[in-house]
Amino acid sequence: MRRLTSFFEDAPFRLYLGLFLVVVFVIVGGILPWLAPTDPLEWYQSPRNQAPSWAHVLGTTSLGQDVFWLLTWALRNSLMLGLVVAFFSTLIGVFLGLAAGYAGGLLDRVLSFFMDALLCIPTLPILILMAALFGGQLALPAICVLLILFNWPYPARQVRAVALTMREREFVNVAWFSGESRVRILTRHIFPYIAGWSAANFINTVLVGIATESALAVIGLSSAQQATLGTMIYWAIQYQALLAQRYVWIGAPVVSIVLMFIGLFLVSSGLSMRSAERRMSV
Amino acid sequence: MITVDDVTIGYGNIAGLTAVDAVSLTINDNEILGIAGESGSGKSTLMRAVYGDFSTGLRIRSGSIRGRFTDPRTGAVLESDSRDFPRLWWDQISYVPQGSMSVLNPLMKVEQQVIDGLPARERGNDRRALRARIARFLEGFGLPETVLDAFPHQLSGGMRQRVLVAIAAFVNPRLILADEPTTALDVVVQKKILLMMVEIQRRLRNSLVLVSHDLGVHYQITDRLAVMYRGKIVEVGRTRDIFANPRHDYTKALIAALPRLGGERARAGKEAAL
Repeated sequence: MRRLTSFFEDAPFRLYLGLFLVVVFVIVGGILPWLAPTDPLEWYQSPRNQAPSWAHVLGTTSLGQDVFWLLTWALRNSLMLGLVVAFFSTLIGVFLGLAAGYAGGLLDRVLSFFMDALLCIPTLPILILMAALFGGQLALPAICVLLILFNWPYPARQVRAVALTMREREFVNVAWFSGESRVRILTRHIFPYIAGWSAANFINTVLVGIATESALAVIGLSSAQQATLGTMIYWAIQYQALLAQRYVWIGAPVVSIVLMFIGLFLVSSGLSMRSAERRMSV
Repeated sequence: MITVDDVTIGYGNIAGLTAVDAVSLTINDNEILGIAGESGSGKSTLMRAVYGDFSTGLRIRSGSIRGRFTDPRTGAVLESDSRDFPRLWWDQISYVPQGSMSVLNPLMKVEQQVIDGLPARERGNDRRALRARIARFLEGFGLPETVLDAFPHQLSGGMRQRVLVAIAAFVNPRLILADEPTTALDVVVQKKILLMMVEIQRRLRNSLVLVSHDLGVHYQITDRLAVMYRGKIVEVGRTRDIFANPRHDYTKALIAALPRLGGERARAGKEAAL
């Protein structure tokens, strides 16, 4: 615990700023949706087309939804999607990459074949195709599975390369000679080399997940019945929010996405700066 | 302790390379056995086979390597093939690898690496007591306790090599295999480490196998010497006898190549004659 707190002492400013933004989004998306007075997806719960006021902090939509509470729901769904996609793709990718690189042989060839095949397929067109097949009603869990399927090969390929070089390091040999098991060697000697990288990859995949889902939603291919940042933009465009000068309605999800991306990016680069500093100072 | 009986070792399938060709050798209790030979003569391959590490595509084509160990706690005599040695690793048998620069994990503190290598029965003890024991042990090697809290890059090459020898010796193994333990070090540090290893061997009365291409090293510390040349052992016997009376041409050439005090300096002599 002490090591954890000392890691954040005298960290670069960007790390603090990034953490602040991320914490704000986690609070807005993780806690506030439970406090919503009514179901913000329900139409005509509030007066339509209200400007921001005390009763409706960010105003209301042309469908009579409260923009602020809708935004909290959208953030929750988008964040959950991003985290789930990032967690599972990083987990699967790191695990299979380590296995392929360290074990080698037939296992490596089979896994590498699948990685290369999936890497070659452009993700978004395939997703659009799939979404069209589902009649524009692709539910969030289905999108999650598809995104994980297309995102695990990136970490896997890179982790495999690291594991390949690590296998030949003398200290891995020594660990093997001293009777440590293969699993222990993987977790204690090889994984520390890719732990920092995995964290960066995790954050990056959160961004990719949210961005891809939003892209699908904006062109109307994911189910519009669920609140995500993408579907909010979709509905705003459908009801001509820009022409009607309802800037807060369309602006709220866009600004949220941008700020969330900046926050996650700052955390990622701040963490790597911080660990580089510590490397120098030892 | 270890009997190597007419063993042929190669890499890969039958058509592959043969590195050790019909070698027989015994490693006795309480002795320092030296293995000398040029690069590629099969020294390290033989060591790996004796250690029982077949993870790198090593195959024993014919013959056998058998070991007899006495369990220190139960006193039971254990006889097994080298294929079954892995469960004795870092308990009955330990290994000092070559090249001190890269054999310690750069991301782990020395203490953690020493503890990681220990067999489970040692590791279960109270951590603080264990650390004190390791610190006392390292002191015998001229290493201060602070070494335990250092990362490998904070130590010099000689210190790192001493740490490795210490790790290998800490479990009181019956057999220590040292594959060129002093190759990358200067002669002063080299001598210190060799003397340390002799001292450990004399204290534990176990077996030490020292692989080196440096005959001077063998002359200083080994009891018996085996000379390898192109995958075969061409000569084996008491070190003193071999140096006094080398029989194989290759051994003669090796001994003749050692610099001698008071010997003629070929180049200087020639230059003076000009």
